[in-house]
Amino acid sequence: MAEVVFDQASRIYTPGAKPAVDSLDLTVADGELVVLVGPSGSGKSTALRMLAGLEPIDAGSVRIDGRDVVDVPSKDRDIAMVFQNYALYPSKTVAENMAFPLKMRGMDKEERGRRVRQAAEMLGLTDFLDRKPKAMSGGQRQRVAMGRAIVREPQVFLMDEPLSNLDAKMRVQTRAQIAELQNRLAVSTVYVTHDQVEAMTMGDRVAVLADGKLQQYATPPELYDRPTNAFVAGFIGSPAMNLLDLPRSSTGVTLGGVEVPLPREISDAAGSRDRITVGIRPEDWVLESTDADAGSVIKAVVDVVEELGSESYLYAHLAEDTSTSIVVRGPGRVKVRFGDPIAVRPNPEALHVFDVETGQRLP
Amino acid sequence: MTTTLERPAPDKQAGGAPMIDRAEGWRRRAPLLPALIFTIIVTQIPFLLTIFYSLQSWNLVRPGSQSFVWFQNYADVFTDSQFRQVALNTVVMTLGSVLIAVALGLVLALLLNRQFFGRGVVRTLLITPFLITPVAAALLWRTVLLDPTLGLVNFVLSPFGASGTEWISEFPLASVMAALVWQWTPFMMLLLLAGLQSQPTDQLEAARVDGANSWSIFRELTLPHLRRFIELGVVLGTIYLVNTFDTVYMMTQGGPGVASANLPFYIYQRAFLGFDIGQSAAMGVVVVILTLIAATFALRLLFRTFSGEEEAA
Ligand SMILES: Nc1ncnc2c1ncn2[C@@H]1O[C@H](COP(=O)(O)OP(=O)(O)OP(=O)(O)O)[C@@H](O)[C@H]1O
Ligand SMILES: [Mg+2]
Repeated sequence: MAEVVFDQASRIYTPGAKPAVDSLDLTVADGELVVLVGPSGSGKSTALRMLAGLEPIDAGSVRIDGRDVVDVPSKDRDIAMVFQNYALYPSKTVAENMAFPLKMRGMDKEERGRRVRQAAEMLGLTDFLDRKPKAMSGGQRQRVAMGRAIVREPQVFLMDEPLSNLDAKMRVQTRAQIAELQNRLAVSTVYVTHDQVEAMTMGDRVAVLADGKLQQYATPPELYDRPTNAFVAGFIGSPAMNLLDLPRSSTGVTLGGVEVPLPREISDAAGSRDRITVGIRPEDWVLESTDADAGSVIKAVVDVVEELGSESYLYAHLAEDTSTSIVVRGPGRVKVRFGDPIAVRPNPEALHVFDVETGQRLP
Repeated sequence: MTTTLERPAPDKQAGGAPMIDRAEGWRRRAPLLPALIFTIIVTQIPFLLTIFYSLQSWNLVRPGSQSFVWFQNYADVFTDSQFRQVALNTVVMTLGSVLIAVALGLVLALLLNRQFFGRGVVRTLLITPFLITPVAAALLWRTVLLDPTLGLVNFVLSPFGASGTEWISEFPLASVMAALVWQWTPFMMLLLLAGLQSQPTDQLEAARVDGANSWSIFRELTLPHLRRFIELGVVLGTIYLVNTFDTVYMMTQGGPGVASANLPFYIYQRAFLGFDIGQSAAMGVVVVILTLIAATFALRLLFRTFSGEEEAA
């Protein structure tokens, strides 16, 4: 159990090229589960592999439990890693796979067997101990990979998209199991995923990466409620937040020919800019009656309706400005269909405002 | 969607054997027949003739000596101490060369599997012996390398006082094996290099994170992964080397005595230098039967290996 610190850590694969991980600053508190999330190619795996010792650290440092590990080989870092394709050893049985890290550390056979049985029980693998990985399903292999990580009782767990090869249902189930297991073992964990739902549900804190740079590092609610920039705002949340580049008016902004007033502190922060990016989450629209007075509601035309049972999402374009599309959350049963008109109004309390150029949050 | 009235083609094939009548069957097979007939003529007829000859006492040097002796020739083969010596030579030469070539090939493959400057050139140089005609390679070994006065081996060893060693007459079997190993090591190296490069990197990384050092990784993961490639190399090498002829012929002529003769060479000697057709035909038949038995086991091993006992993880 240990604190993990990335201190201005960088990785440059090809000299002269853009760093794959650029001056990353990140602290994982003891026992915390931190999720690294970001789009493909954002450097999540690279950051994890730097911590694992599988990639060199070209600048800055990484510390585990206060010890600088830049020059420490993987095998001496006291970490355990779960790989995306599990990386089980095909010539070894499940029990041998799980015992391998213990054997490599010179633990005696009896103790190895005891620990493996204990872990197998925890993961429901007792019946499979003598099988080869080949004869197991994807979900079972995933559990073996987890087992191989936990028998070690390492200081840090590293997981690189461990659920991406499972079907949707298994993924939801396993993600809860991993979170529960991590909580019980209280081992600091760095978990990489490109799935923001996984990030939001599992992480004590979530680090959003883009282009090798840390965008925001915060708890899931904070990430959702106060994204620090337009990238995070658009990345976290599904369907994504509506990000609209709008002209200022005297009291707020103009959207679809309608004045949308901005709260006081936002319009102060926006200062003298004549355009700002306004972010509105799908659930922050209020559906109004289409008969409502033209000046107070925004008219739109429905393109697609997604009904999920408990709620529905209406993809629409504005009647006034057909090039602007919005997503609106509606009740579970909606009557509107393709081509129907709707009228919406943003909830002024829940607006997010960003600078058009830099994408930085304004207030 | 439109529906077709025809039955879909795959269905026809799956359950449809009875739908092809005999004439149609022969019409389909016809284009293959010339090749089949040719193969039968050049392989099976000589084989039957050989069996027929093996039952006769027939020496070309004594015309009119041909007579039918049943299994006398076979009895002679098994009581012939030279034959037993040669059979043993064959096993030692074949398996010894193959195993040494695999071991050396493994070492070279492991070295070549890492990045270093000039790797491409080194790899090409290492492959070259495999590209040389066996006759030329044997000649090279006999003259350039092992010649007692002019050979490179003695030249290199002369500071250690080994000059003048008559390698080929003092160590005939070992000399032949050295040439065979030299030729076959590159093949084994290529095979094992392919094996090494097919090992998933994430398993190696997992092992490093799990605390394994290079030796443990090799012993616990790489060697089991290479097992099937090693087996393939041994089986293929054995199949090729068991009927080595040119190297023996060029380097030692099987001598001194039969010290470095193997079965193909010995049979050749009996047939074309001793003109004993009956005796050599019987030896040929015995060798074919022994080879078939050995090959059956070897191929079974090969198929078991590639039925993919431990494919993906
Ligand atoms: N071995 C390598 N050599 C050169 N560039 C690399 C190498 N590995 C990764 N990169 C580059 O580094 C960047 C970050 O890659 P990384 O694998 O960390 O992304 P990721 O966030 O894990 O993406 P994904 O979600 O697709 O796994 C990418 O632009 C990638 O092209
Ligand atoms: Mg990745």
